[in-house]
Amino acid sequence: MRIPLEWLKEYVDVKGPVAEVAESFTLLGLMLDKPVYEYKEGRYSWPILDLEHRMDRSDWLSILGCARDYAAFEGLSFKMPPVHAEPGLAPKQEQIVDIKVECPDVVKRFNTKVFRNIKVVESPDWLKNRLKAYGIPAINNIVDITNYVMVEYGQPMHAQDLAKMEAQEIVIRRAKEGEEVTTLLGETVKLTPEQFVLTQAGKATVIGGIVGGNTTGVDKNTKDIVLDAGNYDQNNIRRSSRSLKILNETVLRYDKYLHPELAQHAMERAVYLILELAGGDYYENVDWYPQPVARGKISLRMSRLEKVGGVKIENNRITEILTALEYRIIKEDGGVFELEIPYFRTDIEVEDDVAADILRINNYNAIPLRLMNMAPPKEITPEIYTFEEKLKDLLASGGLHEHITDPILPYEEGNTMQVRLENALTADKSALRTNMRSTLWPVLKNYEKHKLTDINIFEVGKTYEVNGAKNKYTSYKEIRRLQVLHKNTTSTPYENTEHTKKILASLLQGLGIEDHRLEKTDGTTDIFIHDEKAGSLEVYGFMLLTEILLKHAKPAQRVVSDLPQYSTQNLSLIMDVQKPFGPVFEEIKNFDDNIVEVEVEEEYTGKELAEDKKAVLVKIAYKTNQTEKFRAKLLKHLKSKFKLEHRD
Amino acid sequence: MNTLKDKISEINSEYRQRIGDASDAEELDTLYLSLFSKKHGVVTALMKELAGLDTEGKREVGPMINDLQSRLKDELEEKRRDLQDHMMQDPLIDLTYPEKPAVWGMLHPTTQLIREMNTFFRYYGFSVVEGPEIETEEFNFRKLNLPEGHPATDLQDTLYIADDILLTTHTSSIEARLLTQQKPPIRVAFPGKCYRNETVNSTNAAFFHQYQGFAVDKGITMEHLKGVLEAFHKYLFGDDVILRYRYKYYPEVSPGLGIDLKCQFCHGKGCQVCRQRGWIEVLGSGMIHYNILKNCGIDPEIYTGFAWGMGLDRLVMQRYGIDDIRKLYGGIVYK
Repeated sequence: MRIPLEWLKEYVDVKGPVAEVAESFTLLGLMLDKPVYEYKEGRYSWPILDLEHRMDRSDWLSILGCARDYAAFEGLSFKMPPVHAEPGLAPKQEQIVDIKVECPDVVKRFNTKVFRNIKVVESPDWLKNRLKAYGIPAINNIVDITNYVMVEYGQPMHAQDLAKMEAQEIVIRRAKEGEEVTTLLGETVKLTPEQFVLTQAGKATVIGGIVGGNTTGVDKNTKDIVLDAGNYDQNNIRRSSRSLKILNETVLRYDKYLHPELAQHAMERAVYLILELAGGDYYENVDWYPQPVARGKISLRMSRLEKVGGVKIENNRITEILTALEYRIIKEDGGVFELEIPYFRTDIEVEDDVAADILRINNYNAIPLRLMNMAPPKEITPEIYTFEEKLKDLLASGGLHEHITDPILPYEEGNTMQVRLENALTADKSALRTNMRSTLWPVLKNYEKHKLTDINIFEVGKTYEVNGAKNKYTSYKEIRRLQVLHKNTTSTPYENTEHTKKILASLLQGLGIEDHRLEKTDGTTDIFIHDEKAGSLEVYGFMLLTEILLKHAKPAQRVVSDLPQYSTQNLSLIMDVQKPFGPVFEEIKNFDDNIVEVEVEEEYTGKELAEDKKAVLVKIAYKTNQTEKFRAKLLKHLKSKFKLEHRD
Repeated sequence: MNTLKDKISEINSEYRQRIGDASDAEELDTLYLSLFSKKHGVVTALMKELAGLDTEGKREVGPMINDLQSRLKDELEEKRRDLQDHMMQDPLIDLTYPEKPAVWGMLHPTTQLIREMNTFFRYYGFSVVEGPEIETEEFNFRKLNLPEGHPATDLQDTLYIADDILLTTHTSSIEARLLTQQKPPIRVAFPGKCYRNETVNSTNAAFFHQYQGFAVDKGITMEHLKGVLEAFHKYLFGDDVILRYRYKYYPEVSPGLGIDLKCQFCHGKGCQVCRQRGWIEVLGSGMIHYNILKNCGIDPEIYTGFAWGMGLDRLVMQRYGIDDIRKLYGGIVYK
């Protein structure tokens, strides 16, 4: 909300320099959004305060609403502008502009007056400049007055030239599918029955609550006008304006909840200004308001105020604030204020909102600081959260960098498992990832662009899947994963694989997971932990499901305080180059309880061997001294189970 | 048998001497072979001689040979390490030569900030929790006092998956879930990922991080809200911070409270960092809305609570000098 300081001064005796005014507004809830700037025009030079509006307070989209709070905060008196509240002349029956509302679900009030024999001229300087300082161009006195009252009171208004109206009536109805209206700005807009329109002889002239048309506008030749102040369903205005992509000062106010009573007060102000600035005769006309809305009532307990705010505020101070904010105190008894809510405070919903009014006008700085002295409640941090933190630490200690990537990516045609976004802005951001490699791989590529050669990165995050009916929440799954990528651009794929596996082994060791195996099935190599599929391995990285890791993780037994008591021996096994060694390794590990550790020392091919053979040197640690006996037994077993040879 | 014992003692003294005198690794290899080679090793020869003794002799001398063997092997190993250490003292080693760092792993800047904040709140008795990223309208809006068409939904252009299923637009949805599931007293902080249907630019992204939390107990007032959050700002930005408390509307709270930090770069004069405001808004907060407690099954006449929330990304970007939020989640590398 932009407030020209000069305009504000009409209602309240502003104290101090503009910076202090801005600070007061900020503290009471209207934060200075941009630095104070100047409106300069001829002899005028007015500071403008641009205040952040936070949606709930429709009255903060009016200068009066802002002025009232400022006066309350500063303890200054607040003065309403002059209005013309007396009724106008009674019109003859045939002079009445009839109002017919065919969509009472969206129209709550349509208050109209008629003026005849007015003079449409340029507005006086003060009015033109106030409007321009606010940011609305000046047109002529009638149009300017409707805009002025809108900014002053927060009630959009609208005037039409009676001579240009084909019929002496305004019919408000839902728009027809495809019906068109050409707006004041000359733009033709296509409508749907979602919107409602003001019509003339069946033709739509105004998009209700959104923008006027170009057919009945007031110009310098206009003599007679019908002036309206409407009140509409704010949700309809919100939806309609968004779907028509029309955002203007009118919409800005109509898409908030305005009390229908406002149409009365704003009208009285507009009547005053028209009679002052355009003269003419003022006639009553239809005020369509079938279901008047009463002002709300609410009670404030002093005990509640203290329960929320902590600080104790004196009774007379509470009364002072409530009065300044125009709450009517119906009764005050036994620490309870029974209040009538001012009509313009459509934001007041619960007792605590009134407490908030007292506390903020009393200044939040008056609330002392206190630390919580209650006993801390039970610790409920989930185990997986702490575990994933540990996972990140382990990987970072191994020299891997953590990354976080945006999980939104393009939709893959035909991927039925993928979670698709209904209203994505662009096609390249239209679905959620089903694997983390797809969003982490570009990061690895980015390292390559930075000419970094030894790349070790990881992400701990989620992937997303849908399985079943798309409108059922339970069809959606979020899967926690760890994705590791390793690539040394100066190494061979073989060397990269070796290193990737080294990271995997170190990680599992760090997590105290001893029992795992790698198994090749249809092109992918799966990682099994205690016979449960926990992830998969590739040349440049691996993926692990963190929930499964957590299930099997134990404190790692890596601290050794005694020299090893095991006897070790090496075994050189020769087998087909094509055959995976994994199963042989598993077989050795599980052969006997006496075997405590098995490690692959070396794997080689070469001239000493036949072309289709490889040799694997395995180091075995035994608990027993009778290694020879074991060795013979083990070899016999391996030879019978696998096609392999042994070399001394 | 005695000759064998003599030999053991001779070999012992001779070879210990020779190992001690050896000047390089090659010499040690030769000594190893002459001791333990299968064909010519002197210790191997002792083993063969041992075979000729009677059982009693074997029992007496066997361990002595074993002992000799392991002692000499140890000596050889130790000497080998000594020689290596000695090589370190090579005059060609120049310790003033500029060093290069080894690459140590780094946690993502956002993770680092989250951990820093977790540390504070854990100290004050808060647990750290998470929630789903795929949410229902019920938890993302309705339970949080945001009925359909509420003006606050303006700020929350939502990414929808199905009719009432969406990507969480704020971590507040976790608040609704926890208030429904846990019995007070509760103290929790929740860092999390959020999504909005924003036109992406350097400061706005569809994917971003928030850090929220709340405390619900008997007797919690705005004094506690101010007390805890002031301590938090001091922890994060230093003891000399200057804070400003102002009314700020959020649909999830009433009364709402905005906290600003006097810009530490320009000291309130206005600069680029604070967007000429002189103050930086770090977080929004307030007393948990009466209706939210009620909607979630907690009696607001018995329990009160405060909640706060903040965006993390801008803070992270400021700390690490990153000018584009899109880079933060995919476009950075660590050296």
